[in-house]
Amino acid sequence: MLSGVRKSVRWLLVLTGALLLIGLYLLLTSHRAFALDETGCLQCHGTPGLSKTGPSGQTISLYVSEARVNTAAHRYIDCTSCHTSKPHETAITLNKQTQAEKCGTCHSYQYKLHAQSIHGQQLRQGVTEVASCLDCHSAENNPHAVIRVLEYSAPTYKKNIAGTCAQCHAQEDLMATFGIVEKVYESYMRSFHGKATALGTYKTTELDKATCTNCHGVHDIKSVSDPSSPVAGMENLTKTCVSCHPGAGPEFVSGFLGHKEASPRYVPAAHYTEILFTTLLISVITFGIIVVLLAVRKYIANRWKETL
Amino acid sequence: MTTYSGTIPAELAREEHVTRFDIHQRVQHFFLMVSFTLLVLTGMPLKFAESGISKWWISVLGGVEPTRLIHRGAAWVMIAVCVYHALYLLYGIIVLKKKFTDIFPTKNDFILFFQEMAYFTGLRKERPRFPRYNWREKFDYYAMFWGIPVMALTGLVMMFPVVATRFLPGWVLPVALIAHSDESMLALTWIVVVHVFFNHFVPGVFPFNPSIFTGKLSKERYKVDHPVEYEKLTGQSVQSKEGN
Ligand code: HEC
Ligand code: HEC
Ligand code: HEC
Ligand code: HEC
Ligand code: HEC
Ligand code: HEC
Ligand code: HEC
Ligand code: HEM
Ligand code: HEM
Repeated sequence: MLSGVRKSVRWLLVLTGALLLIGLYLLLTSHRAFALDETGCLQCHGTPGLSKTGPSGQTISLYVSEARVNTAAHRYIDCTSCHTSKPHETAITLNKQTQAEKCGTCHSYQYKLHAQSIHGQQLRQGVTEVASCLDCHSAENNPHAVIRVLEYSAPTYKKNIAGTCAQCHAQEDLMATFGIVEKVYESYMRSFHGKATALGTYKTTELDKATCTNCHGVHDIKSVSDPSSPVAGMENLTKTCVSCHPGAGPEFVSGFLGHKEASPRYVPAAHYTEILFTTLLISVITFGIIVVLLAVRKYIANRWKETL
Repeated sequence: MTTYSGTIPAELAREEHVTRFDIHQRVQHFFLMVSFTLLVLTGMPLKFAESGISKWWISVLGGVEPTRLIHRGAAWVMIAVCVYHALYLLYGIIVLKKKFTDIFPTKNDFILFFQEMAYFTGLRKERPRFPRYNWREKFDYYAMFWGIPVMALTGLVMMFPVVATRFLPGWVLPVALIAHSDESMLALTWIVVVHVFFNHFVPGVFPFNPSIFTGKLSKERYKVDHPVEYEKLTGQSVQSKEGN
């Protein structure tokens, strides 16, 4: 009788334990997303090292990381939506323009804007150093690792955008070949907007300052000499600032150094203030340090802490 | 800063301490010290934004917005201290008929400065005989007259850039940032290197000088640091001697 009760209690315990474990397993694994791979492409392409030899003899990796695909924006889109149902019939191009066109088959709005931007215009003329979809949407330039734009790890998340543009715009040699001599990234990071964005946390309330795309646009970035650029000319630039600084007038905007440094010819007041204050700083502090050093020398000579 | 007219205050003959700062001066200095420290702690990470320490410190404070909020709050405290000081001076001059002559710069300060340098370098045997305020203390005080207005005006321009440029030319914005940024380094290094050194790290005072916090300084110390004032207060003459 007693042993029967004990037995059923023991079974009850085992059962609850098992249920708890199953629940825990489900709980811990539920957040894991799995890519939709209805056609079983990853059976072969999920193997590291799968590659083919390109037309000019180079090895092209055909490995598609399942881990990457699982966290990508397109994880619920089957491989064949992008690759057609006969993927092995079309050779991959590894060409920025055709890749962009592929993205454009679904994202036609963004594609059209981009095609008219300075980056897209140049891309269509065969200049490959400019930004295309994957340069801004995947940290590894991987078509299968496009991150949703509002994820913290996305290259397009506001806090990361400056770094994304800096991949190219902080390369002085590359920019010089296009006649862009201003150090746009450095100067942005020196500005209040840049410092505050870099120091801010990932919370949106911390990221209300301007980053590159707030002033230049996103898919519709224009050359700054294009009159339709949001930073071209006083009128456009004022509109851009006013979007975040209500009531800003022409004087507010004229005080903006852009990416240039102050010089005797450009905002001379700022240039001379810098010289004045640096001179003041150096001379006063040198004076202070000399006095302190002389005092220290004397006190050591008199022996430290020996009173009176 | 009571004006002593040559008579010996009765309590001074008995007490071990000399009253050096009144309660207003101590309160002003306290808030100056607290607000300045907060301003440095919340301003420097913005100036040196790329350094790892700044990033760590900002995350401790909870992000840039809390940091900027503290900077602004402390800035208003500092501005309030200035207003307090101005009222204190006005009230002292108009109502209490004080002269505040002790803090005026005089030709003697230059002489004392060279005497002290001579003393430090060993060219002179005795310490210079300082009055109530020595040249360093006067320098500190007048440095405030330059430093705080510069910091406050440039800071307010950056706080209200749109309002400021409604009646000021646009170039004040970059100028304000540069001036604020550089002047902050000047103030910080001066206070840490010179002010704190001479007030706390000198023999006989180390590790702590209570005068600005309690208002009192020991007679012994006073004799050494401000012999001229001591003589005026007590009528006793003080022999200068070598030593700190
Ligand atoms: C049986 C293994 C296997 C499966 C399943 C498989 N592939 Fe492949 N795939 C390969 C191999 C091997 C190559 C290299 C072919 C070559 O050398 O030209 C390749 C090449 C490719 C290429 C590059 C084409 C080229 O010639 O440049 C793409 C794109 C591709 N596969 C996509 C897919 C997609 C999408 C699926 C699922 C519908 C898929 N594959 C399923 C083995 C596989
Ligand atoms: C959002 C569209 C999209 C989806 C979904 C997609 N791909 Fe791709 N894939 C591309 C693009 C774009 C390229 C580059 C093509 C080129 O360079 O011509 C590419 C290239 C490839 C290549 C060539 C090597 C490489 O990695 O660049 C393979 C293999 C491949 N895909 C397999 C897959 C498999 C397997 C899946 C499903 C898990 C998949 N793709 C899902 C867009 C996609
Ligand atoms: C087959 C159509 C298709 C193609 C081709 C395609 N996408 Fe997408 N893309 C989608 C869909 C559908 C979504 C929405 C996915 C979701 O929200 O789950 C999406 C989402 C995105 C997002 C995230 C948007 C957001 O709101 O966060 C980005 C970025 C993106 N795609 C970029 C690209 C790029 C770059 C390419 C080219 C490599 C590309 N897409 C090709 C269909 C496509
Ligand atoms: C210069 C960098 C850059 C390039 C090039 C670029 N994007 Fe974007 N894209 C962004 C940024 C930044 C965002 C986020 C915009 C936002 O937060 O409002 C974005 C957002 C998106 C979105 C989400 C919807 C939206 O508009 O906010 C899609 C989809 C997208 N891009 C597709 C593309 C496609 C397709 C291409 C190529 C034709 C492309 N992008 C090229 C930077 C870029
Ligand atoms: C507050 C607005 C603002 C922000 C933020 C901003 N820019 Fe600019 N940018 C401008 C203005 C105004 C100009 C034109 C005047 C100039 O060249 O300084 C410009 C010019 C440029 C140019 C052309 C320079 C040349 O020499 O022709 C490039 C490239 C550029 N910006 C890239 C960037 C990048 C990359 C970022 C982010 C790291 C960025 N900008 C952030 C306002 C901004
Ligand atoms: C993959 C490299 C690359 C990336 C990433 C990139 N750009 Fe560019 N960008 C270029 C190149 C190259 C040019 C020069 C094109 C020309 O002038 O013909 C250019 C031109 C520009 C111009 C026009 C400059 C002028 O001459 O007036 C602006 C503005 C600009 N980029 C802004 C951005 C911003 C903002 C981002 C980030 C959201 C960005 N770019 C990301 C490569 C890139
Ligand atoms: C995306 C929004 C945005 C845009 C666009 C923008 N700013 Fe700002 N800016 C901010 C924010 C937010 C602040 C912080 C304001 C505050 O809290 O006082 C700021 C601060 C400033 C400050 C004060 C800096 C300081 O030290 O406190 C100046 C000056 C400034 N911006 C100039 C400009 C100019 C000039 C433009 C146009 C070329 C511009 N901003 C465009 C968001 C923006
Ligand atoms: C007294 C009034 C002061 C006001 C009104 C003031 C206000 C400001 C403002 C508005 C900024 C711009 C950053 C932002 O918007 O958050 C700033 C930056 C800064 N402040 Fe102050 N501040 C004051 C005093 C001080 C003092 C006493 C110090 C330190 C000695 C200081 C150090 C700094 C530093 C280092 C920066 C960053 C400058 C840079 O980016 O290079 N501030 N201050
Ligand atoms: C941070 C720690 C600080 C300490 C420990 C400190 C300490 C002192 C002490 C001990 C005195 C009295 C000196 C005397 O006996 O005459 C003094 C005076 C004074 N302090 Fe400070 N102080 C500090 C910060 C500041 C700051 C931030 C300011 C201004 C921004 C300031 C401005 C003054 C002035 C004007 C005087 C009066 C003149 C003088 O005696 O030098 N102090 N301080």
